[in-house]
Amino acid sequence: MEILLIGLLMIFGLVLGVLGSYLFHLPRVVGYILAGVLFAPDFLGGPLGAEASEWTQSIVAVTLGIIAYLIGGAATVSQLRQLGWMIVSATLGKVSGSFVAVLVGFTLVGTTVADVPAWALALVLAAIATTTAPGAIMAIIHQYRARGPLTTALLAMVALDDALALMIFSLVLAAIESTGFATAIPIVIWEIVAAIGLGMAGGYVLERGARYLPEQELKLVALLGVIILLTGLADAWHFSPLLAAMALGFSTRLFAGAHSESLFRPLEQLQEVVYVLFFTLAGLHFAPAVVLSHAGLIVLYFLLRAGGQIVGAMIGAQLAGAPRVISHNVGLIMLPQGGVAIGMALMLTGVPSLQDSALLIVNIVTATTLLTETFGAVATRFGLSRAGELGAAVKATKKKEST
Amino acid sequence: MKISEWLKTHPAKALTIAGESSLQDAARLLLDDPEGRDLFVLDADGKVCGHLGFWHVATLLLAELRPTLSLRELIERITLGTVADHMDDQVMCAGVDEDIDDILYQHDLFQQHLERRVEDIPVVDEQHRLLGVVRLTDLLRDAINTDNGTLTDEPEGGRK
Repeated sequence: MEILLIGLLMIFGLVLGVLGSYLFHLPRVVGYILAGVLFAPDFLGGPLGAEASEWTQSIVAVTLGIIAYLIGGAATVSQLRQLGWMIVSATLGKVSGSFVAVLVGFTLVGTTVADVPAWALALVLAAIATTTAPGAIMAIIHQYRARGPLTTALLAMVALDDALALMIFSLVLAAIESTGFATAIPIVIWEIVAAIGLGMAGGYVLERGARYLPEQELKLVALLGVIILLTGLADAWHFSPLLAAMALGFSTRLFAGAHSESLFRPLEQLQEVVYVLFFTLAGLHFAPAVVLSHAGLIVLYFLLRAGGQIVGAMIGAQLAGAPRVISHNVGLIMLPQGGVAIGMALMLTGVPSLQDSALLIVNIVTATTLLTETFGAVATRFGLSRAGELGAAVKATKKKEST
Repeated sequence: MKISEWLKTHPAKALTIAGESSLQDAARLLLDDPEGRDLFVLDADGKVCGHLGFWHVATLLLAELRPTLSLRELIERITLGTVADHMDDQVMCAGVDEDIDDILYQHDLFQQHLERRVEDIPVVDEQHRLLGVVRLTDLLRDAINTDNGTLTDEPEGGRK
C-alpha cells in the first residue's frame, strides 16, 4: 500500500504542480501540497486505506540528509570570505530575527499540545521559521530579470541561511530530547561533536574513494550510501543526522576543491524528487480540523516570522554598513518558506517527545508554506521593484546595444 | 602510431592560461580560437596543473540566464573568482610514447566528456610540461577516413 501511495503522490504531485504552474502561474509546490492533501485520510486516503505513519520517517530522514549534504557543500571557505561581512551579518540578523520573534511570540501565547510544553513548541517553530525557499526566490529573479546589489545579496543569503537553520534545528532537537538543563549540555555537545567529526571524516573518505570511481553512476551509489550510512549511525549512536550530513557536504567540498562538481551534481538532480516527496507527504498530514481550529496560530506564525526577519535582516545589514536599498528590502523579499521547513516539520513525526504536537506543527508549516509561496512571492517582487532591480538585466542589455 | 608522431601530423594549438586569470579572460581566449574548447592551466614552471572547458566557462558567466540553480551554483554565480577557483585539478594527460590507438581506452575520453566535457587530451613530457594536444575532432576525422574504420565500411551497392 505504501509503495502504491508513493507512486500516486509523485504522479499526482507532478501533474498538479505542472498544471498549476502552466495554467495559473502558481508555484509548483502548491500543486505538490494539494496532491498530498487529495490523499490525506480525510479525503481519498480514507477509502484507499492510505495513512502517513512510521514508513514515512525513514524516507524523510534520508531525503533531508540529501538536502543537508547539498546545503553543507554550497560554499567553500574562500567563497564565504569573498561574500564578505555584510552578507554574513545580514544573514545572521535575518535568521536570529525570525527565531527570536517566533520564540518569544509563541512562548507568550503559551500554546501547549498534550504533554508538550509551550517552550518546546515555541523552540521548534522558531527553528523552522529561520528557513527560506531559494527556489521560489530564484524563480522571481529569473522571471523578472532582476539584477543589482540587492539581488546579489539576496542570492548569497538564500544560499547560506538554510545552513544556519539546519544547525539551529539540530541543536533545538538535541535540547528538547534531553530531560533537563544539566543533562542537556553533554547531550548537545555529543550531538555536535560526533556529528561534525563523523561527517568531516566521512567527507574525506568519500572524496578519496570517489577518485577510484570514474563513472557518475558509481559516484551516486557512493554518495547515497555514505549519506544513508551516516543517517543510520546517527540514529543508532544518537547524534544529529542533519549536522552530520551538512559536515559531510562541507568536508567533501573542502577536500575535492574545484573538482567537486561530480560529487554534488548527481544529488542536485534528485532535489526536485526530494521536494515532491516532502510537499506531498506534508499534504498527506493535512487535517482540516487542525488547520481550522488553529487558524490563529498559523496567522501568528506567519506574521511573527515575517516581522522578525524583516527587522532582523535590517539590523544585521545596517550593522555591517549595507546600503539602504539592501537593509530595507532584504528581509521582506526572503519571505518564501519551502522544502527545508517542511522536511524539518515532517522529521518531528519521528521524535517521541514531540509526537503529540507533530501533527499541529506540520499543519502550521504546510499552511504557512502555502501562504509564503503565494503572498511571499508578491513581497519578493515588491521588494525588488522598490529597489529598482526588476528588469535591470534587460535595461542593461538595451543600454549596451544602444552604445 | 606514437603520440609524438601524431602531434607532428595533426598539429593542434593548445590553449593555455594562468590560474590567477579571470574567467572573462578565459572566455576571450576560447572565443578567439573557434576550434578551441579546452583551456589548460599552467603553473609558474609551465607544468599542466588544471583544465577548464568552454562549457564550464559559459555556464559560469551566463548563470544569470538559467532558470534554476543549485545552492552551489548560486554561490558560484556571485563569487565567480579566478580560473584556479574553477579549474579541474585532476587532468588526465597522455605521454608522447603512448600509442594513439590506445588513447580513447586508456583515458576514457567519453566518460571524461560526460563529466568535464573534455575534447582535447593534453600531451606532456616527463616533467608534466605541455607539448601539445590530441583533439577529439582529429581522432574522429582519422577514424572515418581509415580504410578499416567501421564508419567507412559501406555494404556492397550501398551509398558512396
